[in-house]
Amino acid sequence: MVVVNPGAVAAFGATEAVASLQPIVWHEPRDSYDVVIVGGGGHGLATAYYLATRHGITNVAVVEADYIASGNTGRNTTIIRANYAIPEAIRFYDHSMKLYEGLEAETGAAIFHRKKGHVWLAHSEMGMRTERARVLMNQAMGVNTELLGPAGVKALVPQIDLTGGGRYPVFGASHHVEAATARHDRVAWAYASGATSRGVHVIQHRPVTGLLRDGPGGRVLGVQTAAGPIHAGIVLSAVGGRVSQLAAMARVRLPVRTHPLHAFVTNDFEQGLAKIVASTELACYVSQTERGQMLIGAEFDSQPSFSRLSSFDALRSYAYKITRLLPFLRSMRILRTWAGLCDISADFSPIMGETGVDGFLITTGWGTWGFKAIPAGGEALAERIATGRTPALIAPFGLDRFRNELAMADQASAGTR
Amino acid sequence: MTDGSISGSGGRIVVDGRPIEFAAGDSVAIAIMRSGKVPGGGGTLCLAGDCGNCLATVDGVAHVRTCEVEARPGTAVAGDPGHGKPPLPIVDGRDLTRTPIGRELGVRRIDVDIAVIGGGPSGLAAAAAAAAGGGNVLVLDADSGTEVVAIYPGRSIVAREPAGMLHVRADEIVVATGSAEIQPVCPGNDLAGIVTSGAAERLQAAGVGLGVAVAIGSPPSGVACTVLDGRLIRFEGDATGRLRSVVTTNTDGSEMTTACDTAIVGLGRAPRDVLARMTGDDAISLVGSVADEHPLPAAPTAGEICRCMGTTVDDLASAWDAGYTELELLKRASWAGLGPCQGGACLPHVRAFIAARTGTVPEPFTARPASRQITLAEAAADTTIDAFRRTPLHDEHLALGARMDRFGGWWRPWHYGDVVGEYWAVREGVSIGDVSTLGKLVVSGPDVVEALERIYPCHVADIKVGRSRYALLLNERGHVMDDGMILRTGESRFVLSFTSGGAANAEMWIRDWVDTWGLRVHVMDRTMSLAAINVTGPHAKELLARLGLAEPPRFLGHLEADIAGVPCHVMRLSFTGEAAFELHHPVDGSVTLWRALLDAGRDFGIRPHGLQALFGLRLEKGHVIVGMDTELDTTPHRLGMDWAVRMEKPAFIGKAALERTSRLPDTRRWVGFAMDGEAPPEGSPILGRDGDEIIGNVTGSWTSPLLGRALLLGWLKRTPFPDRVVINGREAVVTATPFYDREGLRARA
Amino acid sequence: MPALEPLVGRRVIGDPDALDAAIWSGRDVVVLRLAPDEAFGIGATAVELDDEHAIDESEAGFVGAVLSTADLADVIARVDWSLPSDPSALAQGKVAGVPAKLLIGDPSLLVTHAAYAGELADRLGWSS
Ligand SMILES: Cc1cc2nc3c(=O)[nH]c(=O)nc-3n(C[C@H](O)[C@H](O)[C@H](O)COP(=O)(O)OP(=O)(O)OC[C@H]3O[C@@H](n4cnc5c(N)ncnc54)[C@H](O)[C@@H]3O)c2cc1C
Repeated sequence: MVVVNPGAVAAFGATEAVASLQPIVWHEPRDSYDVVIVGGGGHGLATAYYLATRHGITNVAVVEADYIASGNTGRNTTIIRANYAIPEAIRFYDHSMKLYEGLEAETGAAIFHRKKGHVWLAHSEMGMRTERARVLMNQAMGVNTELLGPAGVKALVPQIDLTGGGRYPVFGASHHVEAATARHDRVAWAYASGATSRGVHVIQHRPVTGLLRDGPGGRVLGVQTAAGPIHAGIVLSAVGGRVSQLAAMARVRLPVRTHPLHAFVTNDFEQGLAKIVASTELACYVSQTERGQMLIGAEFDSQPSFSRLSSFDALRSYAYKITRLLPFLRSMRILRTWAGLCDISADFSPIMGETGVDGFLITTGWGTWGFKAIPAGGEALAERIATGRTPALIAPFGLDRFRNELAMADQASAGTR
Repeated sequence: MTDGSISGSGGRIVVDGRPIEFAAGDSVAIAIMRSGKVPGGGGTLCLAGDCGNCLATVDGVAHVRTCEVEARPGTAVAGDPGHGKPPLPIVDGRDLTRTPIGRELGVRRIDVDIAVIGGGPSGLAAAAAAAAGGGNVLVLDADSGTEVVAIYPGRSIVAREPAGMLHVRADEIVVATGSAEIQPVCPGNDLAGIVTSGAAERLQAAGVGLGVAVAIGSPPSGVACTVLDGRLIRFEGDATGRLRSVVTTNTDGSEMTTACDTAIVGLGRAPRDVLARMTGDDAISLVGSVADEHPLPAAPTAGEICRCMGTTVDDLASAWDAGYTELELLKRASWAGLGPCQGGACLPHVRAFIAARTGTVPEPFTARPASRQITLAEAAADTTIDAFRRTPLHDEHLALGARMDRFGGWWRPWHYGDVVGEYWAVREGVSIGDVSTLGKLVVSGPDVVEALERIYPCHVADIKVGRSRYALLLNERGHVMDDGMILRTGESRFVLSFTSGGAANAEMWIRDWVDTWGLRVHVMDRTMSLAAINVTGPHAKELLARLGLAEPPRFLGHLEADIAGVPCHVMRLSFTGEAAFELHHPVDGSVTLWRALLDAGRDFGIRPHGLQALFGLRLEKGHVIVGMDTELDTTPHRLGMDWAVRMEKPAFIGKAALERTSRLPDTRRWVGFAMDGEAPPEGSPILGRDGDEIIGNVTGSWTSPLLGRALLLGWLKRTPFPDRVVINGREAVVTATPFYDREGLRARA
Repeated sequence: MPALEPLVGRRVIGDPDALDAAIWSGRDVVVLRLAPDEAFGIGATAVELDDEHAIDESEAGFVGAVLSTADLADVIARVDWSLPSDPSALAQGKVAGVPAKLLIGDPSLLVTHAAYAGELADRLGWSS
């Protein structure tokens, strides 16, 4: 008896993956901390990590409703890039990208960080105008992004159908050379491991149900949970798509709406798609994971909702769109689909820092684009908490910008994560 | 295993290039086993679609469970066992996606009262009961070729049929998918030659011999085998990965080794409830063994727990010890359950592993589509997006050699091959442009003046019948949403125009507000009923006179007139900077009118202009294009358009916000720039005078053929606003707009 | 193969009650009630209704195709929403992804904006 084609054992398998895990330490919770961070997603955990490592502040708890990275951090399509269109955003994301590049060395954790390059296709003159503007602004900010014609696109992505299925001809693209991907939950775990090993507490399965306040309108003094109150010198909300609910507990209203965003993966294939390929007009994108899956996403649902159920309308339109560009995907089978809840801000940029309520800070507006921002967002908020001063890097992204008519409008950059 | 004898050959399938015979009714997996081989890469076969151990590439589709595909003559199978990774598919030159609009696979759609998933005894009983109750019932059964992929919210079911896809909408769903057999987890469970009891029965029924067979746990019925009573310890095999013997416990606890060709395991069952758990809808019920309580297997101690991903029990324990101590973390850390069977095989064992450590049985991990996998092409079957509109002049443009492009949801001529020539035709002669895409509404009613006064920031009541006014449309925050003209056609009737693509939003906006205010106003969207041709240039008036317009309207006037026999609403305005007449007319007259204009203007050197020339022309006039020049929070003030806002009006949408924000410091401003040489690309950063800080960006840029310089529009976002900046390494001077014909004499001529 | 031909008539926006009672003149007028306050009288040359502010315009912006039973089945196969339960009601929604209206009867009529005619014909495989 012969086994049909015994497959080559993958070079990096489950055993290697497990061997590369860094331990997370679970502590017995206390009832008071200097800092309580609500939300154990990437932003909450990174803030805790940088508080501990950069500022020596370890009397910190991250309070998570479910398990860590159960929110968007464990659901995203893992694209890390800085090819935004406005200088403030480019500077911020470029810094985050650099922190990502050093994260494995800094934490010793394997996050499967891979530089790939992000090819952002345009299918019309107006699309090219957007990509050209992006390239010029990126280059002026020292970010390595180049403009490609159709032949340049074909050279980087040989599988592309330059006719876009006969419907979406490829006029060209911007190519952001430094763009990368990293395994999402491993980023959260790297921070959780680094933080908890220094004494930070991560408390799972403890939804925050209210805020403790020093009288109505007074300073926030901690959080309420089903298992009792936890007192805090400062509370940071880092709750992803649930931010309107948490902010409402502090009577803060935000220009943020929660919209579901879907994604799906195929089964594993040999490596063969080197680039992250995206299209603004089609609002879809794909990259190949370290396992060899094709990871595909598109635009968020236009209807706001808190549902994380998968949607067939999303699946079929994502599948339709991406196969216009890369017809080889047509015969690949879909392994799994899922959705996350995105905190979409009015101007498609993040909101970090003060809320107008003493003792209560936020990090939100991460929408469909905040995975790449985890290191820089966490680092900046840690600095804000530790020093009481808002770092220049994030100053343009304060909540007060809406009142002051200083929106950081960058919709064309948020479109494809 | 011995070769099964074939009674009634169904033909041959081709496995790794070699033909093998199959019997009618064989699945690909059974056909392979009949030939004496094993599909997939080893491990226990269930032949029921629950595990991921029989995967192969079938007819070019990778990762197919061969037990789920019927063998047909010529079916091509290439090995792609659990742990291997097939190469990316290669698409041949004849690209299917190029066929019209991508309808490659059909979809059948059915609405039913009750859908029953699973055609086993419990499913059929449920279907019969439902039908007896008068319901319209549909049974979806994989064995009959209908494979359910997923249940989505709203009780919509997606399934694959032999001929294409099936989309079902049901009021109620009964899930009767039965239960899956538990896979063994112990050393050697990755060997070839292990089958579940159910698989053994299926092989027996197909006439595939099992050789010397031993059974562990509950034995199959009707299959000749030696039943071992002891507990399973491990499987042992040879260097080829083939099972040779089974090691079990004796009653005294010692090990007993039994040689065999096939090991049959009957270790209990687990509910196949993935579909039922996908949406958590009250109208989804479970019947049959999917609804039963099934005990978990004993906690695993050694062996591969997840065959798909290669996770061993040791891996699970290491991950647990590193702190990944809950089901969802453990799954992601150890990879158990991440493979093609999505936990179908490993989940009961992982739960048992955790239960043994914590004393509580965790809930299964989240169930998500897809239950049966589909390809992207199958998911996208009969999907269409983006219906782009064509103006009635589409074919005229093509015949004139236009480069068509998509803009604002329409196909529009980008240019006709000579942008500068098109420009000069407007400036010096006469030209026509297709502006059919402009948004056009008719509003009428006793309260229409009141409504428009509240909607627009400019005065409306004083617009006389036959006159018009340019207007901005603001939102409640005082930010510019759109712009266009207000044309009065009667005491209580107006025509409103908007940017291309702006009409649908404008109609909603106006209807919403008039309803909110309780005003009596009718709104009709005429965007796709009327086409429009812009006749512009110094000879425009004369050209129109030749076609019957003896008395053209004055600047900002409008009137009804027949031109070349086509009834037109003639509007005199100007976006290009020259005299311009927009001829709005029924779409069925467009081609006549267009051709008549081209014919009559031949001696003026008439030629049509595309969008690119239009953008240059408007730039010389400094006219804003909402969307291209504006941002999310652009106020009229920032555009230098305070003149379009009448703060003395008692109320209009956005007024309160503008009152507040007018007191904020002036931080952003949209202005004109001029510089020598070629125009830098749109989107160029604007640097401060010393060239080291980015202080803005260019939104419009054009090398003016007339002025011989680069003219630009763009944002300054640093105060104090400079009067000289650096763009593209060159100095540019902030310059008042319009750059051309500042007094507007040409437009009024 | 069916073809999408230009339709002419009058389109009216007016008070719903007035539209209910409107009197349409013309030969073989088919009235599509597009909305409570909107109707399109295909083939209508004039309409009388009791609403002095009604917007009553001649309309040439639609095209339509007369469908045989077989054609209708093909068209319905490209509809991914539930048709109205009253079979004589005007169904409005996307057909093959293109905004359209479907009047089921004997014969049936498929209507769309002229601006979408090319796209719809392509998607239904009606373009030669
Ligand atoms: C499908 C998808 C694809 C994406 N792709 C990309 C991409 O390619 N690149 C990119 O940069 N970004 C991407 N994003 C966005 C990115 O995932 C998020 O912006 C980012 O992960 C946000 O991290 P976070 O820590 O703010 O939120 P989350 O990761 O959502 O964490 C918030 C946490 O707060 C917890 N929580 C909520 N309420 C409470 C409460 N009351 N008490 C306690 N805890 C609470 C939640 O359980 C959750 O764990 C994508 C998002 C999705 C959904």
